[in-house]
Amino acid sequence: MQLIPILTPLKKTGEKSVAKQSYSISLSVNGKLIQADVSADLRLLDYIRYELDLTGAKEVCGEGECGACTIVLDGKTVNSCLILAVEVDGAEITTIEGLSKNGTLNEMQKAFVDHHSVQCGYCIPGMVLSGEQIIKDHEQPLRDTIKEDLSGNICRCTGYQKIVNAIETVANQS
Amino acid sequence: MKYFAPKSLEELKDLFLSNHDLNILAGGTDVLPRWQDNPSLKLDVLVDIKKIPELIGIKESETDIKIGALTTVQDLKKSDIIKKHFSSIYEATCQFAGVQIRHRATIAGNICNASPAGDLLPGLYVHNAVIQISGLKGERVVPIHQFITGVGKTILESDEIVVGIVIPKSSIKSLFYKLGLRQSMAISVVNFAIAYEIDENNNWKSLQIAAGSVAPTVIYLKTFTDALFSGSDVDESIQLVDDEISPIDDIRATASYRSKVIKNVLMHIIKEIYVR
Repeated sequence: MQLIPILTPLKKTGEKSVAKQSYSISLSVNGKLIQADVSADLRLLDYIRYELDLTGAKEVCGEGECGACTIVLDGKTVNSCLILAVEVDGAEITTIEGLSKNGTLNEMQKAFVDHHSVQCGYCIPGMVLSGEQIIKDHEQPLRDTIKEDLSGNICRCTGYQKIVNAIETVANQS
Repeated sequence: MKYFAPKSLEELKDLFLSNHDLNILAGGTDVLPRWQDNPSLKLDVLVDIKKIPELIGIKESETDIKIGALTTVQDLKKSDIIKKHFSSIYEATCQFAGVQIRHRATIAGNICNASPAGDLLPGLYVHNAVIQISGLKGERVVPIHQFITGVGKTILESDEIVVGIVIPKSSIKSLFYKLGLRQSMAISVVNFAIAYEIDENNNWKSLQIAAGSVAPTVIYLKTFTDALFSGSDVDESIQLVDDEISPIDDIRATASYRSKVIKNVLMHIIKEIYVR
């Protein structure tokens, strides 16, 4: 595999230097309706981060292995690095920025704070959204189920225990 | 790059007529990383087939089950029909990547990608899945082992797509085994599915084994199963597996490890089935 130096400028595939055919899309992001013109090769992750300035979703591996770019697309967690912006015309998207209401964290976010689940924080937006998916998919998930369903999110600091604890707590409340 | 999202098979066929070198996009979980790794890869015309309703859904009839091309791995995992009739396919969905990928990756994508390590494939092979193809020249159906011809290669013409997968219902039991370097998000070092029936006298009524990551395509271990079928001892006939597989060294494992591990695990599981 080709090695990419970490400090090269991130691919801003949407750059307008070359005239590209653009496609108009309309979508809902965190409850807000948005219309936009995007080029076909713009990744959803880049659109969210650079055009919408929602920087909660992160890029790490860029190939769907790590889960740092996780967002919710039509009610399901997905890797936004593996989706093009044109593909989501008509879709409903929630990013980590859409969870809190009027500056108040939601239950999952609070649990992450209470359990000290965050160290460097880079993976956490994805972890929280996957946690939300887990409590949606399973009524009273076993600890092993939580671990299994978190397997698409990689964390290199915490050792996962406190993240699993946070999700377990919310799961047992609901 | 141009992007099209046809809303029916008819619209797709119009695109086939007016364009060459279309790149079909379903879940995108293999296409996009390949494209990002290799920008020289030409993706001039991208055709997103996700808006074609004919390709969606799992339908059960008296004799078989038809799985729409766009059915995601997570939809398969949640389907009671799949779990009830095809355990090996259900078990493969549980070990398939992680939730986010499973929400996007499609069954037809896993088949057309034609990876020797594709996790859904061994289960589809042992349940004799048939691929339904539609294109400018009409429709055709092909058994999965004839559909996939090599690493990343299928018989699909440039003006055809897979519309669905048909699997005959039966009372055959099946299971899936995967060895990866970790439990999730792992590409298989070796994987296989076994479909079997045992009669009341504890003899094989039927037996089929398909193994992945040990040859350019998933293969049936026919010599080995024939030997078992004719009553040979597992411990002896297991050596026949070496004549059928052609594993390679790669980043995940060596050829000799693959050969050793598939024989050991197969032997273990066959004995376990037999004892049951």
